[in-house]
Amino acid sequence: MNKPPEPVIELSKVTKKFRSFKAISDVSVRVEKGEIVGFVGVNGAGKTTTINALLGFTSPTSGSVQLFGVRISPASAHRSHRRIGYASGDMELPDQITGRQYLRFVLNQSKQNHSERLQQLTDIFRPQLDKKIHTLSRGNKQKIALIAAFVTSPDLVILDEPTSGLDPIMQTAFLELIKSEKERGATVFMSSHYLQEVAEVCTRVLLMKNGRIVEDLSSDQLRAAGGKTVHVIASAKIELPKQHAVQIQTSQTAQGSEVIFVFKGPLHLLQEWLAGVKHVTDVTITERTLDAEFRELYAVEEEEES
Amino acid sequence: MMLRSVFTKTMYDKRFFILGWFLGFAALAALLVTFFPAMKQEGSLEMFVDSMPPAMQGFIGDLDNLRQLSTYLAAQLFDIRMQIIAGIMVVVLALKLTVGEEESGQLRTVLSLPISRASLLMQKWLAMVCIIGLALSGTAVGIYVSQFAIDESISLSILGQLMLMTWIVMVAFASVTFTVAIATGSRALATIIGILLLATSFVITTFAIGVDWLQSFEAASLFYYFPAVEIAKSSIALKDVAVLLGLSAIMLIIAFVCFRRRDVQ
Repeated sequence: MNKPPEPVIELSKVTKKFRSFKAISDVSVRVEKGEIVGFVGVNGAGKTTTINALLGFTSPTSGSVQLFGVRISPASAHRSHRRIGYASGDMELPDQITGRQYLRFVLNQSKQNHSERLQQLTDIFRPQLDKKIHTLSRGNKQKIALIAAFVTSPDLVILDEPTSGLDPIMQTAFLELIKSEKERGATVFMSSHYLQEVAEVCTRVLLMKNGRIVEDLSSDQLRAAGGKTVHVIASAKIELPKQHAVQIQTSQTAQGSEVIFVFKGPLHLLQEWLAGVKHVTDVTITERTLDAEFRELYAVEEEEES
Repeated sequence: MMLRSVFTKTMYDKRFFILGWFLGFAALAALLVTFFPAMKQEGSLEMFVDSMPPAMQGFIGDLDNLRQLSTYLAAQLFDIRMQIIAGIMVVVLALKLTVGEEESGQLRTVLSLPISRASLLMQKWLAMVCIIGLALSGTAVGIYVSQFAIDESISLSILGQLMLMTWIVMVAFASVTFTVAIATGSRALATIIGILLLATSFVITTFAIGVDWLQSFEAASLFYYFPAVEIAKSSIALKDVAVLLGLSAIMLIIAFVCFRRRDVQ
């Protein structure tokens, strides 16, 4: 009988304390080959601490970190790095050399020829390779860091807020690159503040808060969770749908009433409800942004805690 | 330049540091060589030194040493000025290569590549040793070139031995600071220990000549193992080399053990 494939990433009850402060607590995640996982949370949620443990920059206070079936420690992490590409939004590159020199340095460590891939990535990001890195803007440094992460065609790419320094055109190019990595069969683990960006390319989204993973959703579940924002004005009184509706605002005036609510149910039920509303004077139905959903998920967690 | 390794990258990164210190040491050495003819003349200097308190005479040393270029340079350059100036250089260098890169985030960037911590540490330490050697070699160049201007000469063997011992003692100082910095990641702790070791070594060796109670602590000073005037008169004592190289080796082992385990910022 064939053994099931090893997960690419396996965190088991990982806790990291800095003195009395718990940066992450009992984090357990399993990521299979080919998954594109978005790791979302606000500043201080524990995303970077988790990534530091994955890369062996820090060792967990308790629990275990495994990559490709091998336990990671600071002393042995370099072995897995042959199969990993890493970039972060605030990555500090050696600043006394040019981007081209840095990329050659990265390629020299892999001891394989990736010149074709380098050319391909250079064509996508168009970085300024012949200037000293310390003279480059944040966005241009970020392009070089991203090229370095992908240039060896690694099995696993770990990205920590990778688009924070990129302009909108480069953000789009980056998301296209992630899609092509998915086709190549690479695994991507990407932290971000932006749920919209993550939902666009990821197959799975982990929501992190106060050092714990509070949601683990497929991208389909996440999109479905977004729902529609419905705004109705009528000259008669409006009753909200009995199911699938979350009220945002209701007002009654001498001329009638106005309601705004989020609808998260089958659309035919919304259509049936709307048919029952009398004397409608205006209707607006818009796609609810995932960032709004993100804020809501956070708010729900906070309420539960209080 | 092909940056194949952390070693070559570090050497390349520090090229201006090497050049600057090389020129500085060359200029300092040349300046002291050009003073030699004036020092050599017998006269008022003896009276001036005799009028100083015994403890302060350590700064000047034995006036007989000022009669020959080799002992003059050993006493005035290698025994006093180089110790302090090169000592400061190596503490700064060790801090830059370790906590400097860690604080800026560059250490994480390099560690995200398939480079082991042991290999990174070894390559950085070797680069540090080479940078110190290259920067200090400015002194030899300065002495060698300027001796022709005063129509004096120093034996290349003596010059080589003085340079070698300066290098070895500075590597020992650098290794202590390097180890504290890479083992703990603390700039403050590494700076305090590096500077404290340099300053106490200098004070003990300089003032032990005239202060009796300091003589019992002489062996605690790293400069005790670099008697420059004795080297200029005879040769390097192997036990001194062994002590300094042994200290560097012990520091390197401690650095290996600690850096492999600790968290990187």
